[in-house]
Amino acid sequence: MKPRIPLAALAALTLVAVAACGGGSKTSAADAAQAHGPINVWLSNNAQEVAWGKQAVTAWNTAHPDQKVTAQEIPAGQTSEAVIAASITAGNAPCLIYNTSPAAVPNFQAQGGLVPLDDFADGASYVTARSGEAGAQYKSPDGKFYQLPWKANPVMLFYNKKIFAKAGISTTAPPLSTYTEFLATAQKVVSSGAAKYAILPSPSSQFFQSWFDFYPMYAAESGGQQLVVDKKATFDSPAGKAVAGFWQQLYAQNLAGKEAYNGDSFADGTAAMASVGPWAVAVYKDKVDWGVVSLPTQAGSAEDQSTFSDAKNVAVYTACTNRGTAWDFLKFSTSKEQDGKLLEMTGQMPLRQNLTQEYAAYFTANPKYKTFAAKSAHVVEVPNVPASVEMWQAFRDAWSNSVIFGKEDPNQALSQAATKINDLVK
Amino acid sequence: MTSTLPVGVSTDDRAGGGTRKRRPWGRIVGLSLGAIAFLFPFYYMIVGSLQQRSDTSLGGAFPKPGNVSLNNYHEINAAINLGRSLLNSAIFTAGVLVGTLVFGVLAGYALARLRYRGRGTLFAAMLLLQVIPFQLLVIPLYVQIVRSYGLADSYLGMILPFAINSVAVFVFRQFFLQLPDELFEAARIDGASELRVLRSIALPLVRPALLTATLLTFIGPWNEFLWPFLVTKQAGKQPLAVALANYISTVAAAATNPYGAILAGACVLAGPAVLLFLAFQRYFVSSDLGSGVKG
Amino acid sequence: MSAHRRQPIGMLLSAPYAVFIAAVFAYPLGLAVWISFHKYIFTAPGVDVPRPFVGIDNYTTVLSDPAVRRSFLNILVFLVINVPLTVGLALLLATALNAAVPFRTFFRVSFYVPYVTASVAVVGVWLFLFSSDGLVNQVLGSAAPNPSWLINEHWAMPSIAIYVTWKQLGFFILLYLAALQNVPKELYESAAVDGATKWRSFRSVTVPGVRPATTLVTLLAIITGANLFTEPYLLTNGGGPSGKSASPVLLMYQRGIEQGHPDTAAAIGVLLVIGVLIIAGGQRLLERRQA
Repeated sequence: MKPRIPLAALAALTLVAVAACGGGSKTSAADAAQAHGPINVWLSNNAQEVAWGKQAVTAWNTAHPDQKVTAQEIPAGQTSEAVIAASITAGNAPCLIYNTSPAAVPNFQAQGGLVPLDDFADGASYVTARSGEAGAQYKSPDGKFYQLPWKANPVMLFYNKKIFAKAGISTTAPPLSTYTEFLATAQKVVSSGAAKYAILPSPSSQFFQSWFDFYPMYAAESGGQQLVVDKKATFDSPAGKAVAGFWQQLYAQNLAGKEAYNGDSFADGTAAMASVGPWAVAVYKDKVDWGVVSLPTQAGSAEDQSTFSDAKNVAVYTACTNRGTAWDFLKFSTSKEQDGKLLEMTGQMPLRQNLTQEYAAYFTANPKYKTFAAKSAHVVEVPNVPASVEMWQAFRDAWSNSVIFGKEDPNQALSQAATKINDLVK
Repeated sequence: MTSTLPVGVSTDDRAGGGTRKRRPWGRIVGLSLGAIAFLFPFYYMIVGSLQQRSDTSLGGAFPKPGNVSLNNYHEINAAINLGRSLLNSAIFTAGVLVGTLVFGVLAGYALARLRYRGRGTLFAAMLLLQVIPFQLLVIPLYVQIVRSYGLADSYLGMILPFAINSVAVFVFRQFFLQLPDELFEAARIDGASELRVLRSIALPLVRPALLTATLLTFIGPWNEFLWPFLVTKQAGKQPLAVALANYISTVAAAATNPYGAILAGACVLAGPAVLLFLAFQRYFVSSDLGSGVKG
Repeated sequence: MSAHRRQPIGMLLSAPYAVFIAAVFAYPLGLAVWISFHKYIFTAPGVDVPRPFVGIDNYTTVLSDPAVRRSFLNILVFLVINVPLTVGLALLLATALNAAVPFRTFFRVSFYVPYVTASVAVVGVWLFLFSSDGLVNQVLGSAAPNPSWLINEHWAMPSIAIYVTWKQLGFFILLYLAALQNVPKELYESAAVDGATKWRSFRSVTVPGVRPATTLVTLLAIITGANLFTEPYLLTNGGGPSGKSASPVLLMYQRGIEQGHPDTAAAIGVLLVIGVLIIAGGQRLLERRQA
């Protein structure tokens, strides 16, 4: 009779084998920062970003044949964080990922997956020189930069001129500046039958949805405050309550939809307005005759009010062995020339200071983007705190329950969320 | 005496109302209503995928001559390499099918008809495996396959977690359990070795179970998105489900009819599975199994 | 069957399957259980992070979280609706489809089609049907629930249950179709000779004849139902109104993968597995009692 290997023993053997194989390489950080050689980078699979990425890679490879860069794509959507987290754990993350969400950086940092840019001699100074003051909010709690602020999509309010005209609202200067005006306009749009909803941000409970309904308006109303400052939630304040009360009215009067919409409600004409960034310019080009204004505030919107940045950044990952090349390529791909190409090819705003002056020619030729460029100097990012995803999920759950579905008083819900969040980020 | 019915006479007529042959109208009406309920969403998908401009109103459920075009399919074909993705899907699925049909049959037979040490443990493990949600295992599984086994960016890495479908093993076990004991006892009494019994008695009979198992096992890898995506980043190795998901999340927004493009992709993905079912389902007719024992 | 002889060749035949399970799933499963008893995050290789043993802390945290308890309750609601409906409908339809009905192929394919279509696309169609001004509400008129199905805290989970039943029925019909081929024709014939009606022969020949398949179908329906993830994610965007359509696996995904807390996620997972084993075990006991 054959000797039998019990299942358990086989499992134990596997475990031991795996543990034995699990060691990482032991190069010191300083050495790795100097190492040069071929590297891998990941781009988001947005078609225009891929096109930009490919030309940047080709340009670099021609000039540096001994430090070849290979680019691959990963999905830009919700699964990208799962993919990156998995690859950090497995140790096969690439050197650079041009799709690093600022909200995910605290988690990746806790995993030990990110290289602080301060490790490079000119790391911190490069970031500060390129992005100026707006770059400071991307520092981690330990004062180092674990990400390079790359590009932003400042959120503004698009409106459909055809629908507004049908409802008898001015298409050149629509009254959307204060909450009262906005509500009145919204009521007019819906009651006249011009559109089913005034605005339809996704009512879904995913943690990041608040970035497109609550957060841009909170940034404006609070004068540029993040959700959490100095480990304390800030939204349990008159500004936060005002924004919540405003949205509550929109939902209660059915001016904003509570159900998921299949497809793009703004493109389909189901919603008269949308809060989106400059990426939408290319998407709605032939579909909607749109205009853009700042989001409303209680007192009235101002030119220089803040909004949410919806930024995507670049980070250097610890699985990288040739970090010297990675840093050099990162600087190359965020140089004035390459930032300009990014702007031309994708319409998204590089997080570079004095954007309108640096690329004046482009903005003269493409005036539709100018508003966004000016706005990109006033962007507010998600707070760089530990447990950031959990924090946003707690906020979204409270928002969804009180503001969208009206099951609770928003002020109470926000207070409870603030207490919970203070507990999480301390 | 075995009764083999002449071809073409359905058992239903005999088992039904005596010797009168009646059209089963009630059944047809019932089935039709059911079929409409089941097919309507798929019908709507096809109509939606053929729409040039998205028409989400109720009237959009009926194809309007001016709004019908293959544009969405063209856009998808331009955006992703349909041929290559289909090939990758086929390789992935074929690998899983081979693993399941070859090793699953053996395991199912052993679990059903043989007694040996560890049989109970294996059966329990198989059940347990079914119960565990994939999300619980995904990251450690990824680490193991990529780091310990070094199978990143490979078809084998994609196939491995799905290699032997446990539901199929269950089905094979069920199938072999339902075969009459006498079949096997007769052979054993005649002195046949176990391998002989397997080869000459069990395997020739297993075809219906093979068909069922193929249809069951096919869908998993064919529609699977997360795992192949995690394991391979090379666009040239990604199966259709991954390519479509990528398309949906990005390019689709810029298409003329984004939702229509998504539906077109889904129709393309569903096509081969439906064809496979069409091809196999006609084998699901009563075999003369029961009568093979007597006489 | 003579029960005294052993056939050790069984080990050889089932070895590939056993090795597959051990080599692929043993480590992840073991690690998941281990994680549930520690404070744990996934880290890059070579990164040292304290991972203290915390006993059943993760379990108590999870059990005292109202959202988690809510999700288990939601899954029970789901199972109560989905499992009997699935088993009953699948058997009835499989029997109907097994007979020589005109257009049988067309019918068979039509019931199978939802099963093979990717959820991502089908969900859109269901949203179209069940949105507040969708087809169903138009037909129902004033009888339609307000708020509409998927945003209604009482109807959200039942809507999902019906959707999943519809979508997966093809799979279970297939299992029953296969099992029906093994019901000997002689039994139907002798029932007919005894003068049984169709319904009678269904109850006394078909149902007992496919008992093993019924066990399989019930078990699989329970298991896939308990592990529900895609549908709450796509249909009600996460947790639905007041978390009334969140499922345990959805919470595992949120906490384990999105928020980076694999320890509490693993605790939820282990509790889910235990729950399913209890339910499945209970079902087997019921069956043994009936047999």
